[in-house]
This record gives sequence, structure tokens and C-alpha cells, in this order.
Amino acid sequence: MGLDITKKKRRIALGCEGSANKLGIGVILHEGDAAAPTSTVLSNVRHTFVSPPGTGFLPKDTAHHHRAFFVRVAKQALADAGIRIADIDCICYTRGPGMGAPLASVAVAARTLALLWGKELVGVNHCVGHIEMGRAITGADHPVVLYVSGGNTQVIAYAEQRYRIFGETLDIAVGNCLDRFARALAISNDPAPGYNIEQLAKKGGRVLLDLPYAVKGMDCSFSGILTRVEELAAQMKANGGKGPDGEPFTGADLCFSLQETVYAMLVEITERAMAHVGSNQVLIVGGVGCNERLQEMMALMAADRGGSVFATDERFCIDNGIMIAHAGLLAYETGFRTPIEDSTCTQRFRTDEVLVKWRK
Amino acid sequence: MALEKLNLEHIPPTCQIYAAFFRDVSNCEFLHTQLLSRNSEFEYAFIDASSVISRLHLLAAVYSAANMLLDGTLRTPNVHSEIVVSLNTNNNIADAYRRWGITPGKTKDLIVVKVVLSSSTAQVEASTQAQTQEAIWDHIQQHVKGTPTPLTDAELAQTTEWPKVRKYYRLNGVPSLERLADEQEQRQQSESLAIMGMALRGL
Amino acid sequence: MAAADDAQFPPPKVLTYPASTPPTLITQGAEGRLYKTTHLTRDRPCALKYRPPKPYRHPILDARLTKARLSSEAKVLERCWREGVPVPAVYAMDPAAGWMMMEWIEGIPVRVGINQWLGERPEEGAEIPEGADETPLVDLMKRIGAAIGALHKTGVVHGDLTTSNMMLRPVQGGQANGGAGNEGKTRAVEGDVVLIDFGLATQSMSDEDRAVDLYVLERAFASTHPRAERLFATLLESYKSTFKKASSVLIKLEDVRMRGRKRSMLG
Repeated sequence: MGLDITKKKRRIALGCEGSANKLGIGVILHEGDAAAPTSTVLSNVRHTFVSPPGTGFLPKDTAHHHRAFFVRVAKQALADAGIRIADIDCICYTRGPGMGAPLASVAVAARTLALLWGKELVGVNHCVGHIEMGRAITGADHPVVLYVSGGNTQVIAYAEQRYRIFGETLDIAVGNCLDRFARALAISNDPAPGYNIEQLAKKGGRVLLDLPYAVKGMDCSFSGILTRVEELAAQMKANGGKGPDGEPFTGADLCFSLQETVYAMLVEITERAMAHVGSNQVLIVGGVGCNERLQEMMALMAADRGGSVFATDERFCIDNGIMIAHAGLLAYETGFRTPIEDSTCTQRFRTDEVLVKWRK
Repeated sequence: MALEKLNLEHIPPTCQIYAAFFRDVSNCEFLHTQLLSRNSEFEYAFIDASSVISRLHLLAAVYSAANMLLDGTLRTPNVHSEIVVSLNTNNNIADAYRRWGITPGKTKDLIVVKVVLSSSTAQVEASTQAQTQEAIWDHIQQHVKGTPTPLTDAELAQTTEWPKVRKYYRLNGVPSLERLADEQEQRQQSESLAIMGMALRGL
Repeated sequence: MAAADDAQFPPPKVLTYPASTPPTLITQGAEGRLYKTTHLTRDRPCALKYRPPKPYRHPILDARLTKARLSSEAKVLERCWREGVPVPAVYAMDPAAGWMMMEWIEGIPVRVGINQWLGERPEEGAEIPEGADETPLVDLMKRIGAAIGALHKTGVVHGDLTTSNMMLRPVQGGQANGGAGNEGKTRAVEGDVVLIDFGLATQSMSDEDRAVDLYVLERAFASTHPRAERLFATLLESYKSTFKKASSVLIKLEDVRMRGRKRSMLG
């Protein structure tokens, strides 16, 4: 090496993400002072494994998808970025958390690139990737972060070099709850079950069905709600379900009620964390963060507190490679490396385990 | 005049509340009949003083009813019946009347409460108010046959029948009461528990 | 959280009616607001807790939650009060309108008392030196432990135990102890411990819930009063001597500590 990375004016990282059903590879450029770099997205390519309606994505099939598409996606990312392999400083990959088989397939691919091109590796925490990308895109400097996806539901705030988890789900993630509900109604997984639930919910709203509301302090729980909506979906199919007004309810009413309930819970725990840490900025990250109703409710809450909400669009909300490249490069600039012999991945990797050396 | 004007916190001047206390009332039968026949001249809350612990206890019920009147959320026909029901710990109206209402042959000491809600501020002027108060007192005095008594804790304490009160507010075997030796403290604690039971009515 | 935000939040309707002294906003949290005002008579101070409607929530859901939460809090307070656990009495409420009036607890929060007491120690950040007379603080820890023991005995878990959610109510009739020169400091940690803010309380008899209650306090105590962290053991001892079923709770507490925030998580 010999070269001091912090002295380099332009630093480039390639990031590989595949912790769930999205395979994403992106290239990021950092310029200027390593303590406060300007970031430019050079490329952000993604390919999603979509399973048929009524089914979820299984680890084995998903891993197969990632292996099958890795080279294609990587080539596209390099071509879009218009850079040479020599320009790349490091290869970043998702160490976890996520599904074992897909994580492993992408880790192997990243390791291969590192050995092939003689680059250093940086293992990245998926959640930290979301947070850092969200901060970089929106400019939110010290937000309370709501991280909501198919596998995670956390309320996070930064304090003393760590992203601390103030609240989280006590059972399943909110995205998992939505995905599994979509299966019960055989709602399409293309482009994403959550997106289709939201479109359907816009047609509902005649009634609000009574669902469990499970908030405990800054934590919450979704399994009871899932059980209830699955029961209601079954009742509806058997034509035995009646809403509070005595009229039969529709799938759209179910989608509407589910959204109103789970998003209210998320906004409530976020608000509690904001009051706790004394912040009035909220940043929503993760795939569920694309949901417009969630963003709207969060904005109403933030406005009520004299604050504001920051959210990103589907390019950055949904799992992607660029966030891994960005968070990895931030760590790389502080001297962090993942030696090849330690370049494992792990299904369990808590957000607060990462030492955030790049922030004060 | 033994008709007192009650000034409660968080009650606007448009809502005027008057109360009087009579000992040894001899015409409960007559008063009860007026209530049953819904005689509009007898729009009062008649409360059996033997079930009342203290002035504060009474005021808590009056406040609750007045607040519902102001909010338009009365659950009984009028503010006066609401006062009687507000003394209860559940929403059973008949039960409340049996316990705190007027019972011919049983009620001896009687608290009379009158609530007047003015629609305009003109009626709130001091002179108008005095007239109202006088008119109410004339009517009460004319029809309630008993000894006017100051509505004070000391007087009320003389008429309280504790076995009844303890039963109505489930005060028997309450640990926080049993460990108190001092009678005055016990009385205060009971008052607090009664007011709390009323606040939580029907929950 | 600034008081300046006050103006943009209208008070509940009940507080728009006149009182001898105007209501004052005491705290503004995520849950709602706490006002100091009066109940029935001018000499009866009270705390009014108001849960304003949340604009982001569906109105039906919002009404249901507000009502259920206030009702549950009131029921917990009544239960505690009947059992003799030191908590504020409920004076009046309108769950549908989102408010509840409670007894006003005089005094200072335990957090302030402890910090005042510790504040007179010489060096910042240092532990209380060996040999220093920490009897008043130890006594306070015992009283806190006893209050929580009594609470758990009634089948209630607080859900948000911190030293900010406990008051030190001055003992009526003044105090006798406190040596010369030490008086101000000693007085800071004197008084009856009264538990407040039951907004997250639930009725539960499970060891797990009770242990989590203690664990939340333990963490809050350690971060708020790092210099007195060592004295937390005194609190637990006192809890144990007040509450018969404490031993199984304390065993569970070990588990909860071990688990910490290491809940398993899948990406």
C-alpha cells in the first residue's frame, strides 16, 4: 500500500449488497477532506429476485439468483460508472445482517473481485449502510433514524461513536409482516408486496378494522397484528367478514387498516425516541421507507414537533450496492480493513456493534 | 340566605352553581313525587347527605356533571341527574338514585344543588345573578321543609353514615385505610378513594 | 420540547375555563403534556395530564388509543392507591377528551435530589470516596427499593422507571436528622418517595416483566448517576426485603442483564 488514503483527493469504492432478494452493486466517489467528504454516486445497479404471488423468497433460490446475476450486474455497474479497475480503492460487501445463503454468495463474489484485482476488502453492516446513505442523500445531520425493511425495524440515534438502538421490534419486522400479509391475499410481489399493498390501500378506507396495536415504550411488535389480518383475510375469503359498519369489508379495507395501524405504531415509537434524545429530525431508511403513507404520517408528526422528515426514493431506500460502497468507504477512510481471512458474513449483526469512527 | 353559590375551578361564569343543606327534612315524599312527575319547577339535584363524606366529595360530583353539561356529553337527562349519577362508581342510574338520591321514609338530611347555564354573558352580570340566586332560594325554602344548615365539612361529618359509604365505595378491607390509626387521616383517605372511584366511573 | 412551542399547542378545552391561577405547562413529552392547575378549589393544586390528538393517526384509532391509555393509567393508579403504594391520586378525568387530573406531588424529582447531594462532592466523575458519610443517600436507595417492591406486590409494573419518574415529597412536620453543615445536602435526599408517570404501566405478575422494570431503572440509574451506580445494590436489597417474591425476580434480572440488548435479529 504505502499510500495514505486520507491524502488522496479522489477515493472510489465498489459496493456489493445481497442480504435479501435484491442484488445491488454500486460505485461511489468521495472527494475532498476524508473527515467530511463530498459523495457522488457513479453507478447504482440492482436486480431483484421476484417470487410468484403467494410465496416468499427462499434463501436457496435467492442465493442462486445472486450468483447467476453477479457478473452481469457488476459489469453494468463498472460501465455506468465509467471508471477503470485501477481507479477502485476498495471492494465493500455486506457482512450482515441478512439471510445466510444470499449473504454468503455475495461475500464470495466480493472476495473473488478483491483477490482478482488486488484490492482491499471492507465488510459493512447493512443497517449502517442504509443510515449513512440516507444521511448523505438527504443532508440530515443528526436525525433519529427509523430503519424499516423486510428484516429490520429499529429506531436508532447516534451517540458516542455508535448508532444506538432505542427501540425495535420484539418479534418480526414490519416489512415481514407486510410481505406475509400480501401472501395471504395473494398480492403480487412485483415490484414489491409493500408497494402493491399501498396501491390497494388507496382504494380502501371505508372502514378502519380493529387490529391489535402493540407498542411498549420504544419497542413494538407485529406478530399479533399479522395473525389478526390473516384471520380477517380468511374470513373475507369465506364471505364471513363484516366491518364495524356491518358491511362486508374488502381486501382494500384490510390493506388500509393494516397500513394505518402499523405505520401509526412506527411513528409513535419514533416520536418517543425524538423526545428522548431531543432531536426534531427524522430520517426514514429501508425498503418500507418508500411507503408514501408512512412518509406522510411521519411528516405530520415531525411538523407537530416543529421538525422535519427526511426520506429517500426507491433508488436508495430499497437495498442497493451504493450504500454499502458509501458506508464501506467512510470506514476505509478511517483505516478500517477486513482482511481476506476474516471476510466472513453473519446473519446476526447488530447496528450498535459497529464503531462509527468517522463521526464525532 | 342559606343558598350558597359554589365557585369551582375551571367552571366558566356562565355556569352558576348553587347549593343548600337541610337537616331533618320532613317532606321527602313530596319532593320525591315532584322528581318522579318530572315537574319542571323542581329541577334540582336532591342528594341524601348520609352518603356524602365531605364538601370536597360533593364538589367533585358537581364538577364532573357541570363539565359534561358544558361539553354536551351528559349521559343522563339533565345536569341534576348527572350530579347524582356522578357520585356513583358505576353507570347504573337506578343504583345511583337509590344510594344518593332522595328516598321517602329514609332520607333525613338533604343537599340541594341547582345548576344554571346562561346562554349569554348579559345574564352573568352580578345584579342578574343576585336575582337568580334569590329566586332559587325562595323556591327551595318554600318547598323543602327542614332546617337550613351551613354546607361545611363539620356539619356534613355529623350526617355521614360510614357503613353505607364504605360499602358504596368498596372501602372495606382496603389496605391503605386499614393501616391508618388516626380517624382524621382515615376520613381523608376515604374521601380520596371515593373521589377516585367517581373519577374512574364505569372504567 | 422547548416551552416556546407552547403557543402552537392549544390547551385542552377543560383548561380554557377560568381558574384562580392560570394553568402552567410543566412538561411536553411525546406522550402528552403535563400542566399544573387546580381542582375544584383554589387551594387544591393538581397535575393535569393531556394526551392531545395525534394528527398523523387515523381519528378512530387515535380516539381508541387515547381513551384506552388514560383509562388504563387511571386504573393502575387507583389500584396502587388502594394498596397503599405511594402514587398520585386521581381527581377527575375525561378519557374521551384525553385528560386526567391528578394529585399534585410537592417536592423535587429523585434525580435532582441525588444530583444535588452528589454535586457537593469534590471531584467530578469520581465515585463517592470511601468513608464518606453516605447514609442519607443509602437511606434514599432503600426507600426507592421499598416503593418499587410495594408496587410490584400489587401486580403493577411501571414500564418506565427512572429517577425522573419518582418524586421526593417533603415529610410533613419537618425532619429531625441532618448534622451541622450537612443540612442542605442531607435535605436534598430526604422525603417520601412517590412514583409518578404511569403512562406506560401495565398490570402484570410475571417475573420477567418485573425484572425488566428493574433493569430499565438500573440502566437509567447508571447513565444518570454514574457516581452512585454502586449503591444500586442497596436498592435491590431493600426491594427484596419488601417484596416476598423478589428472589425469583432478581434471578430473572440476571437473565435480563445477560440478554441485555442482544436480541437476535435477522437482516
